[in-house]
Amino acid sequence: MKNEIEINISLLGQLKLASIIEAATLALLVCVAVPLKHLWDWPIGVRAMGPVHGLAFIFYGWALLQTVGAGIWQRRHIVLLAASAFVPFAGLLASRYIRRRIDALDRDCSAT
Amino acid sequence: MTFADYYIWLKAAHVAAALLFVGGVVATSLTLALLPTMPEDSAPFVMGMRRYDRWVTVPAIIMVWLFGTGLAVSGAWFGQGWLSAKLGFVVLLSGLHGVQSGRLRRMEAGASPAMSRSLPFVLFAAIAIAVLAVAKP
Repeated sequence: MKNEIEINISLLGQLKLASIIEAATLALLVCVAVPLKHLWDWPIGVRAMGPVHGLAFIFYGWALLQTVGAGIWQRRHIVLLAASAFVPFAGLLASRYIRRRIDALDRDCSAT
Repeated sequence: MTFADYYIWLKAAHVAAALLFVGGVVATSLTLALLPTMPEDSAPFVMGMRRYDRWVTVPAIIMVWLFGTGLAVSGAWFGQGWLSAKLGFVVLLSGLHGVQSGRLRRMEAGASPAMSRSLPFVLFAAIAIAVLAVAKP
């Protein structure tokens, strides 16, 4: 039981990191690179940030699916966490939610 | 070093990483498919598979994405049909690997194995990716 909790905490820690990176790259892309392209005709930012955010998005999706495979979430949580990857700054809320889940598992681990 | 030299090495690294990645996904798919039929004491085998996944398959998937993105950017191939189709298969394979990796971890923690029939898709995706990458139709 304790082993399973520790594995879940490790997977959730990775998912939290992925959600922060994904949220940061999406915010940079939408709030900095895209306005620079359309308002100042400077497309290099989008050309650089596009692939970087794509990689961050894939990392987040992969980390989320790992937690799905480990059976950590219910279906509605999976849908919400997946949707958070498409909305700017929602990834930060997701990371706080994941943090709370890690804290709850930490408490369970201490109790056993 | 000219751009052509740089491209060849990037492509070689990408193909090597892709071979290790697909090999790892095939091995994990076979493991998950056969585990329910294996004797009770398969914990050391699951632990070995999990270790292989962590130290070989996961670094390989990271390299596949990094080198692949570098190749696509350097060749200005984003938006071309063959790459979009190939990306679709790679995304599905990567997602499948994420689920499988999570399942392996769960089994390592003592959960009972669940039947998985992903191997035919993995083989089809590997063939499709090879054809799309080489022929670029």
